[in-house]
Order: sequence, then C-alpha cells, then structure tokens
Amino acid sequence: MDPMEVFKIEVTGQEEYGAKKYREIIMDILQDLGLIRSIGRLYVYIDILKPFFAVYGRLRSGIPPLTAKDVGDVMRVSGGYQIKINDEEHMADLLRVLWEHYGRERVEQPARDMLIIASDTSPSEIVVADLEAEFLQDLTDALVRIAPEGFRNRRNEMTKDSFLFIAAEESLTPEIVSEIKEKIREMENA
Amino acid sequence: MLEPVMFTGGLYKHDLVVELVEDLGGYILQKNVTQSEIILLILVPSEDKAALEDLSTELRGELIRAPLAGTEVAVVTPTLAIHHLPHTACDIAEYLRRHGSKTNMMGLARGVGREIAQINEYETALINEHDAAVFIFGNFQDCIKKKEGLYRNITVPVVVTGGPQIDSKELPYAFEYVPSIGRVAHRARKATEIGTLDRIVESIGRALDKTRGSIAKDPLTTSPPRIMDAVREQVPDIEFSYSPLPIALNLNGVRVKLPYQTYKDAVSAVSFDEGVKLGEIATIRPSRMKDYILVSILPASETGFVF
Repeated sequence: MDPMEVFKIEVTGQEEYGAKKYREIIMDILQDLGLIRSIGRLYVYIDILKPFFAVYGRLRSGIPPLTAKDVGDVMRVSGGYQIKINDEEHMADLLRVLWEHYGRERVEQPARDMLIIASDTSPSEIVVADLEAEFLQDLTDALVRIAPEGFRNRRNEMTKDSFLFIAAEESLTPEIVSEIKEKIREMENA
Repeated sequence: MLEPVMFTGGLYKHDLVVELVEDLGGYILQKNVTQSEIILLILVPSEDKAALEDLSTELRGELIRAPLAGTEVAVVTPTLAIHHLPHTACDIAEYLRRHGSKTNMMGLARGVGREIAQINEYETALINEHDAAVFIFGNFQDCIKKKEGLYRNITVPVVVTGGPQIDSKELPYAFEYVPSIGRVAHRARKATEIGTLDRIVESIGRALDKTRGSIAKDPLTTSPPRIMDAVREQVPDIEFSYSPLPIALNLNGVRVKLPYQTYKDAVSAVSFDEGVKLGEIATIRPSRMKDYILVSILPASETGFVF
C-alpha cells in the first residue's frame, strides 16, 4: 500500500512496464531518503518520445524550525542557562548558533552533552536548524536521482506546499512546460 | 578437455588441492584468500575431476562447476552515476564472478540519454578486448532500441539487459536480450530477480560457447592457461603486480598486468619446451586497459602447428 494519498504515474506510448518500474524506483528512493511521509500527493508524467520527465507533488504541512529547546532541556542555573542535550545529531549546529549569538567566551561545554551559557537571556527560542530548508534540499536531491540520468535540462519550481520538477534531454521550451502543467492539472482533476 | 571448477574451502591444507591440480596437469587460474577461507578457480582435466572431488570432500570443501572460468566479461553501464550503480550493475557483476568469470565494470563517459547516448573509439576497443559484454539498460523499450548504436561496432558478443519484454529481432546487433532487469533502486533478493541473473549467466555462457566454437574451427597454437603458467614461471616480476589477478585469461590469449614498455621483451621471450618463443606464436600489444600487455595467441592457420 502506498503511504501517499495519491500517487499517479502516466507514461505515453507502450511503456506500461516503465511506468510500473518507475513507481517502484520513486518509492525506493523516497524511502531511502526518509521523505515519503512528507509528501501527500504525487503525479508523475513521462513522455519518452519527446523525451521529458515531470513530477508534481503536494507536500504535507510544513515543518517548524528546530529551536534550542527541541534539542535539549534548557534550565536556569546560577550565572546563566544550562542546556542538557538529548539529541546529539544537532550538537554542531547548536554550538555554531550559540557562538554566533553569545560569543565563544560565554559558551562553555563542561561535559559532552552539557552546555552552560553565561547570559541572562534564555537561549530556548534560538533557531538551531531550518528543517524545512534541509527537507527541500533532500527533496531536490531525490528528484535528481529519480529522473533518468540523461535528462539534464532541469527546472524545479518549489513553493511552500508543492513542487514541480521537469527534466528533459533537449532544452525546455515554454510550450513543453505549459503542456506538462496542463497534463498534470488534468491528472489532478481526474 | 579441461573443465573449469571452483573450489571453496578452508585455508588449512589447501596446498593439497593446488598440488593435486598441478599433478593432474591442470591449472590454478585464481586464488582468493579471505581470512580463513579460500576460493580457487581451477581448470582440471575432465577425466580426473573425480580425484579432485574426492579430495575436496575429504577437506570439507565445496567443488562446483564454474562455466565462465578463464574468461573476461565487461559489464557496461551508461555511466558510473547513482542512477545505474550500484544495484543492477553490481548484482550482475558479482553474479558473473560467482560463476568464475573475471568481470570488469565499465561506465561509459557519455552513454546516458535517448538521443544523446554515445560511445567513443577507446571505449569500444576496450570492450573488444573482453570475451563478451553485458550492456545494462533501463525500463523504457524505446530507449533500449535507440541505444543500439552503443554496441553496434563491438565485435565480441553483447548481451543486452533491460526491463520490458522486447522481441530479440528488434535488437539485431545484440547476441541476446534478457528482460526484467531494468533500472531498480534495490538489491536483487527475490527469487524472480535471482532467476533473471541466472538467465544472464546462461546467456553469457551461450555467447562464450559460440566464440569457443569459432575458435575450434581454427584452433589456437596453444592454450591460454599454458601461456599463463609459462609467463608466471619465466617473468618472476609478475609476483609484484598489485592486481588481484596479475594474469587474466581470455579465450584467445592473456592480459599480463605489467607495464608494456618495460616488460614486452621479457614476455615475448618466454619459451616453451617445444622450442618456440611466445613472440613467435602470439601478437604482443599494449592493452587499452592501463598500460598492461595484451597477448593474443595466433591460430594454427597462421603458425602452422598446434602444441
């Protein structure tokens, strides 16, 4: 069963096998990169005679940015604030933003999972990482991996809640782009 | 008639196998030691195979037929990018290796796309140094048909693999077409996928048999394993070649993995008990692979004798 609400794939010509296999490839790659749960609907349109490859997707609700209080427990201690790290994955990012914000001399790390900040302002709301930007980067990477390799003329239109990725062997003309958009609209409304 | 087999067993007492093969007049083609295990690729006279089977049972080893032993097969993908590697290409290459062939993986420089796919003269010549080639294509039949240009000028048999079912008449330049192994993003693990790999091996086997058949019409002056043995004995520097297989066997010769300029005379001067030198019964050329030496044995029709 697909974890997505809608996953349609259309290939022109006698290429049912290709359509079936590309479905598997897309699922495999999105699963490998851990993106599958963030995509709600996916429409793929391939015309192998022109040839081009297009993917249109609708994203699930946005991911909020990661703040210091999501990474660890922030506590008031004498002389400042203490952060006890729970998720070490973002340690490097956290240190970088704290150094930028307070200066290196005011950030101390007495133990591997412990930070002490000599300041009166709480670090809890400081943004450690923009997960949405990371997600969009991973998504672009996945789309480049999914598209057939020879299709090197690419266009990637990303908005907050959707993306349209087109790859073709020849230069992309406005006619091709509008044809693809038209087709995808049809698939969406079907 | 020499029979290609593969011995897998413990390192302990494997010398007994090596000694027996030498006593029987066979050849050890390749020796792979992995910690306490050893894999030997062997050519053994078919009438004496029973003796080797007895010994391997005694040593608790396993002896299986390796139909592709003593051959070199090129596994060619349109490029070395993530789209084509590692899954399909590595699975096919590994499977061919398990059946005894020496497999080289090649990614073309500009093999991608439907209209823009190209192969250059160097790549063609390099593939032609092998005994057979496998071209791995994708899931769209139109693309597979269009990409025929990549292997049209290749003289060795080419087995083409791809996803959809295509009538082999539509691919006249391919030796055979093996379907249902197009582009996939996971390793082959289902029974059907393994079955497809088996079909590729069978197809390569048929391609090699065809080449063997045409060689048999005008036999080579001597057999490639015999040259391998003589070179190993008379060019001792081969021991210092860092390749896992310093002398690779082809159906019509060997590739000696030593620098051409420095060693061509030494290889050419290798002599046999019959009183001939290698340079007289074979052409010795620089290989397209690095700066190795490619030895192609001349047929009986050119030298006038067979030994």
